[in-house]
Amino acid sequence: MPDVILKNLPFLLHGLWLTVELSAWSIVLGTLLGLLVGTIRFVRVPVLNVLAAIYVEFIRGTPLLVVLFITYFALPALFGYRTTAYRAAIFGFVLFIAAYLAEDFRAGLRAVRPTLIQAGLATGLTRWQVLRHIILPQAIRRVLPSLFNQYVRLIKFTSVASVIGVTELTGAGLLINARDFHPVKILATIAIVYLVVCSALSLAGRALYAQFGVRT
Amino acid sequence: MTDQPIIAIRDLHKSYGPAKVLRGCSLSIARGEVVVVCGPSGSGKSTLIKCINGLEGYQSGSILVDGIEVGAKGSDLPKLRARIGMVFQHFELYPHMSVLNNIALAQVHVLKRTRAVAHERARELLTRVGLQDKADTIPADLSGGQQQRVAIARALALDPQAILFDEPTSALDPEMIHEVLQVMTELASSGMTMVVVTHEMGFARSVADRIVFMDAGEIVEDSPSEEFFSVPKTPRATEFLSKILAH
Amino acid sequence: MNYHFDWTPIWAARGLIAEGLLLTIALSAASLALSTIIGLIVGGAATAHSRTVRACALFFTETMRNIPLLIHMYIWYMAFSFLRLPAFSCAVLGLSLYSGAYVAEVVRAGIGSVGRGQMQAALATGLTGLQAMRYIIYPQALRIIAPSLASLFSQLIKDSSLASVIAVGELTYQAGAIDGQTFRTFEVYITISLIYLVLVTAASQLVLLIPGSRSEAAAGRFADA
Repeated sequence: MPDVILKNLPFLLHGLWLTVELSAWSIVLGTLLGLLVGTIRFVRVPVLNVLAAIYVEFIRGTPLLVVLFITYFALPALFGYRTTAYRAAIFGFVLFIAAYLAEDFRAGLRAVRPTLIQAGLATGLTRWQVLRHIILPQAIRRVLPSLFNQYVRLIKFTSVASVIGVTELTGAGLLINARDFHPVKILATIAIVYLVVCSALSLAGRALYAQFGVRT
Repeated sequence: MTDQPIIAIRDLHKSYGPAKVLRGCSLSIARGEVVVVCGPSGSGKSTLIKCINGLEGYQSGSILVDGIEVGAKGSDLPKLRARIGMVFQHFELYPHMSVLNNIALAQVHVLKRTRAVAHERARELLTRVGLQDKADTIPADLSGGQQQRVAIARALALDPQAILFDEPTSALDPEMIHEVLQVMTELASSGMTMVVVTHEMGFARSVADRIVFMDAGEIVEDSPSEEFFSVPKTPRATEFLSKILAH
Repeated sequence: MNYHFDWTPIWAARGLIAEGLLLTIALSAASLALSTIIGLIVGGAATAHSRTVRACALFFTETMRNIPLLIHMYIWYMAFSFLRLPAFSCAVLGLSLYSGAYVAEVVRAGIGSVGRGQMQAALATGLTGLQAMRYIIYPQALRIIAPSLASLFSQLIKDSSLASVIAVGELTYQAGAIDGQTFRTFEVYITISLIYLVLVTAASQLVLLIPGSRSEAAAGRFADA
């Protein structure tokens, strides 16, 4: 392992840990929010549906970097609060990924066969019960591959948090480079770490779907 | 030279992984002959004819087409395939081109004919198969029978020495089978060498010179047409005939 | 909320915005062209007969996709700084290799969904493998993947914003500059977002220009690459 890496290993490992933390929080919160928004859009709750649509379309048409700038600079300026880069980053990632997940969930919900829904209603279940016991379980299984894709994508996207000063893996590497100047070694190492993590996760995902018999 | 068989298959063996698909098949086809290959599903009939034009490979044995060894390294397969036409079960017309262009494409890019010549020849062939007014239609707007007739015209466009048919009527609705068999019958009487994998025993009986019966990867019987139907030599062939002709 | 809205400085800075917009479009167009070429080649290679060729294509796709775009750009800008490439070129290279890998995946899937029989039919008439790909397989594949390509193009436009980090003066970079000058943080970033929104919507409509692609393209406005 190159010297510059060895010398700064603790800092880099801390950066990796931040990447994991950022990803984990964003994935969990983003999935919950995405599920909520997707369901709202599917069910077409009045008023909320329109707000949800505006949110989804806005975020999906905006670059991630701009979303982070909004959560770190624009919103605090607007509402007059202070925030750390880390919190702004999580906020931004959650908003970002939830919008994409919402669309995936909505597609999954719509893909459930209407005859299945009719069958549920015919046995006397209310619309909410049908949603909860029949539609959601089906939709979630179908949507698993897309969810996984988005999660792996998010892990890559955490690198953008470096731009607003979060010292996750990329941020840490850049700081080290600023001081010790070994761009090739540092960038190569960081690239390999992302590569290994993301490839491993993609493979794990594919193995998972095969296990659960989910059609990709 | 002229009494050399146009297609000579000798002791062909082919496996898909552990499964043996062809077990030592030998077959000779002379110029002008019409040979029908029949047998139960999975007997290897389609695989056999796809080996003839190199669409499928084989492990051992030899196939000589017009003197060229099909499996030899360095044999010019595109050139060989220009000499042998093929008609597929599912027609396989190119959906993004008109009927005319379907027939003209290979003429232009393989035989290097000019567009004008290719189009003219295409129209002649369309007339021959009875579809002269469909030149500018796209395949999706044709019935199955019409598509298959276009496919036959496409195969004829390169002036082949022989045409291979892989279950040409199996994917057709019953009303359309007749129009395709009609074209094939005319083709046979014009002297074209044909190898036809089919279940249409009526066609086989009236048009074929020889019947080749396959079962489980082997050629079980190879007799002149009349003989096959009246005096089948093997019990397997007899059984097959009784099932096929029963309804 | 004590914020005092003032949009006039944004309007006053429209020259900078226009500059940024132009660069964003230039960046996206150049990267689109290059990544499409890369994607067509690698995607075709991924369906080749030779196992080695297929493996190389897979290696390329996996590597390029799993390295974050930001790292791609930094690599060209910093690690390969001895090449003395201008920042714009670094951004184009980074974007193209990253996107190209995604295009390759889509192309591969598109080629795969053209039935095997078409290839056999084409070969049976004496066309070589390359001729068959060119006249029969690719045209059909492109029509199938048109909606996905629209999505990828939209994504490309959004991804171009990362070029601001290596000092390319595109839209996001200009937003930062304007914010620094005017302190109208909220107005600036909302305006920029809306501009991206318009760009992305326009881009996904462009794909309808491909003959034969259906209105499913409308469904794929925003990327999920």
